[in-house]
Amino acid sequence: MKRNRIRTAAFLLAAVMVLSLALSGCGKKSDAGGGDGKKTINILMEDVPDTACVAAHLEEFEAETGITVNIESVNYSSMHEKILTQMLSSTNAYDIIVVDCYWVGEFVTAGWIQPLDDLIESSGFDTSVYIDSMMNMVGEVDGATYMLPFYNYMLSLVYRTDVWEDEALQEGYRQATGKELTVNGTMEDYVEACKYITSVKGESLAGAVMQGLRPDPIAMEWCNYLFSCGGDFYDDNGDIVINSPEAVHALELYVDNMTNAAPSGAPGFGFDEAFNVIAQGGAASYVTYNWMLPKLQNASESSVAGLCDIAPMPGGVSLNAGWGWAIPHNAPDAELSWQFLQWVESFDVCKARALDGGSPTRSDVMSDPEVLEACPYLATVQTIMEQSKMIPIMEDAPQLIEVLGRELSEAVTGSKSAQEALDMVAQEMQEMQ
Amino acid sequence: MRSIRRKNFTVFMLPSLIALLLVLAIPLGYSLITSFFNTNLKYQGLGDFVGLSNYASVLQDEYFIESVVTTAKFTVGVVVVEFLAGLAIALLLNNIRKGRNFFFTIIIVPMMITPIAVGLIWRLLLHANLGIVNYMLSLVGISGQAWLADSSLALKTVMFIDVWQNVPYMVLVILAGLVTLPAEPYEAAAIDGASRTQSFFRLTVPMMLPTFSVVLLLRTITALKTYDLIFVLTRGGPGTSTEVISYHIYQQAFRYLEIGKASAMSYLLLLLIIPIAFLFVRISRNRTA
Amino acid sequence: MGLTYVALTLITLFFLLPLLWILRTSLITKVEAYKIPPNWMAEVTLDNYISIFTDNPFGSYFLNSFFIALVSTLISVLLGAMSSYWICRCARHNGRLKVAILVTQMIPPVVMIIPLSLVIKSLGLDDTYFALIMAYLSFNLPYVIWMLLSHFEAIPRELDDACAVDGCTHVQAYFRVVLPLVMPGIMATAVYSFIVCWNEFMFALNLTGLNTRTIPVAIASLDTQQGVMIAELCASTIVAILPVIFLTVFIKKYLVQGLTFGSVK
Repeated sequence: MKRNRIRTAAFLLAAVMVLSLALSGCGKKSDAGGGDGKKTINILMEDVPDTACVAAHLEEFEAETGITVNIESVNYSSMHEKILTQMLSSTNAYDIIVVDCYWVGEFVTAGWIQPLDDLIESSGFDTSVYIDSMMNMVGEVDGATYMLPFYNYMLSLVYRTDVWEDEALQEGYRQATGKELTVNGTMEDYVEACKYITSVKGESLAGAVMQGLRPDPIAMEWCNYLFSCGGDFYDDNGDIVINSPEAVHALELYVDNMTNAAPSGAPGFGFDEAFNVIAQGGAASYVTYNWMLPKLQNASESSVAGLCDIAPMPGGVSLNAGWGWAIPHNAPDAELSWQFLQWVESFDVCKARALDGGSPTRSDVMSDPEVLEACPYLATVQTIMEQSKMIPIMEDAPQLIEVLGRELSEAVTGSKSAQEALDMVAQEMQEMQ
Repeated sequence: MRSIRRKNFTVFMLPSLIALLLVLAIPLGYSLITSFFNTNLKYQGLGDFVGLSNYASVLQDEYFIESVVTTAKFTVGVVVVEFLAGLAIALLLNNIRKGRNFFFTIIIVPMMITPIAVGLIWRLLLHANLGIVNYMLSLVGISGQAWLADSSLALKTVMFIDVWQNVPYMVLVILAGLVTLPAEPYEAAAIDGASRTQSFFRLTVPMMLPTFSVVLLLRTITALKTYDLIFVLTRGGPGTSTEVISYHIYQQAFRYLEIGKASAMSYLLLLLIIPIAFLFVRISRNRTA
Repeated sequence: MGLTYVALTLITLFFLLPLLWILRTSLITKVEAYKIPPNWMAEVTLDNYISIFTDNPFGSYFLNSFFIALVSTLISVLLGAMSSYWICRCARHNGRLKVAILVTQMIPPVVMIIPLSLVIKSLGLDDTYFALIMAYLSFNLPYVIWMLLSHFEAIPRELDDACAVDGCTHVQAYFRVVLPLVMPGIMATAVYSFIVCWNEFMFALNLTGLNTRTIPVAIASLDTQQGVMIAELCASTIVAILPVIFLTVFIKKYLVQGLTFGSVK
């Protein structure tokens, strides 16, 4: 009896000991590279083309300064969540984060990213080298500089030159409509041409592939239609015009293109599915990130390599978008973070990144002869960018995108008319103010 | 006797209670409190006390009400299908000796894949224009569907994928219960000339009832919270055809940072499940009592 | 009997075919993966497997996941089984207690994550195994308790009483007599707990950093702005499945032999 009790007690004790040993062992933080006085910089990023380019040059920075840099990349939809929990704590695990353009208003309002003006001034960093539209979007807010533009993902029209210049198609289109088959017309012309190509080629080649997935893909794509049809979110007086006749027309064109030109799966496509359709030769055009062009032209990633080009949106106004480097309000050492930002945004590093396939934000890099020779399409990108517009900087922009995505998708499925959907968006925008 | 009970409580129950309290007390308390405040994470602190107005505004949100209906359809559909399929497969497996190992190993693999990967992989398989499923269907003369792009099909497609992933769980649990059933009652029933169907309904079902009620209840709760699959597959679209409650809660919490409203939604969900839970507990107790 | 095998073969195919497609995709390039009609002669390459281990430290993610899932499952099973037994045998009003434990599982993790990660950060425990192991207890422990209830209930009380007559304490009766009898249930429950931890994404995303990143977070990050790296994703999915299959070998002994405790029942 007594022996049994002792044995039970011994068993329990052993179990507790093993567990606590395991727990104390794993409670220990194994700081990557830290601990011995060596400085480290932790960066949270999304895996964008520039991420690899930055990573490729890190060794130079590490050799120069003796500072270790860790890049943690997560997927886009998870990033906002991960940043959020870090921002609410007293200390941040990250010295540097990158901020998507439509998070800017929210981050600044919440005070999550710190103004860089003092650091810029004391170090003499020149911010005038950035393209204005980038600096306005992921740089300055109300006169203070919060970010350095990191890279751009402005959208525009990527199209198949062989299809749009196909003589039989051109001739057929001329006979059917009396118009020229071109990507340089208005939005109406573009949608009509896309529908024509689909009607001739059927399943094998759609006039346009589109991305109807909620919320970002559809909202981002439609913004190009909105701006190119002369619409906007707010007018110059700050009044909501998202349900203006221009905007409604833009949505009607969008739904028309989605229903009658795009492949059957398009209302559910994210940008990856849509990209694969055009990369497999299944579509004649696609409104997408400008740096999708080099990927489409690369034979290891696409079966239409050499057959694609980029053009301004028909109607002329693209959606500009990009990411900015920022230092969190609770970063452990802002000077250290800034040291890295200065290096990574220096002309030499930016140029090297661009030559590796990055996406530049500095005008001096974009017009650098060596860069232009490697990526000739950047000349077109720069002119498109000058005409581009952006999603307004407002603290509720993530909510706006969410609501817009839902209502656009409702219009695409036909459960709401274009007017009803946009009226709903306008109503919710009103409530956000 | 009293002291023995107390001693047993200390040894058997206390460690679990302490562990649960450590990890759950603060999150549950925080969300209960914030459900009465207009807390927005953009601003520091809890914000203002607003009483029940979060609950009221959630109940007036027509999209939320719609998502309750969608969630109910989804949950009932997947739980029923998964349970019946899981039961059938477990019975088949229990019936055989040779090859049970082989079939079982393959059948339970889908539940080992992380839901995010399941979603992304099925997007590849079900790609309306470049997917293998539509291609295979076209070979046998069936025209392919825009599985995730058609608002009348999307919810069914998501349910189908959920079934593919979660039937294995049902098989695992039900089979684990079946193999521990005693053999004697069946032998006795066979001697009495009972058919297989008779012994299934008269012996297996009553003996398995506690297991059935537990898996049904637990699966119902996880199905009500389904989030990963919807997030990867449709993000609630096309239109609002696959918008479930947990996606709403995610939007409020992580996109709008309205943690007060998100908490209120969560507690409303909780009020919805508690009666179901009591019902299942009663069913399983009736049988043991 | 033959019919049983035909049915099982068809059912197995339903689960197997998508898996085979994952395997195929993991062995070809992304361009090939999206070719329709499929190029059955596509060149087989191991590049995707090589790249997940060289471009990403997938090996250490693997160990992180394994350690976290294993420790969390062991703790849950050890503590949970005892609690389950106690609720089953000793608790009065156990219906309410059961529901109370379950109530904690009804709040979606989305809402729990923010307060939980704030607490963990303020304790300086972020990016540690400890944080994730504890976080996983929040759903693992209630799950284990619940799953084992029915298994304990199936064991006749007379057995405990017989032990008591022999002079055993409750603790001894539990470990020596009752526990071995519910082993099949415990194994199935443990395997499932392990799998849930192994696949968990939400908590892992918010509570891990570079040092403790788990496989689901790594797999999700293959969905990039440059596209879903579907071939690498399939390769890492295959790699992530293997240890779990290996693990099921343990429970197969219980499930396949169909242990029946004739002497007991």
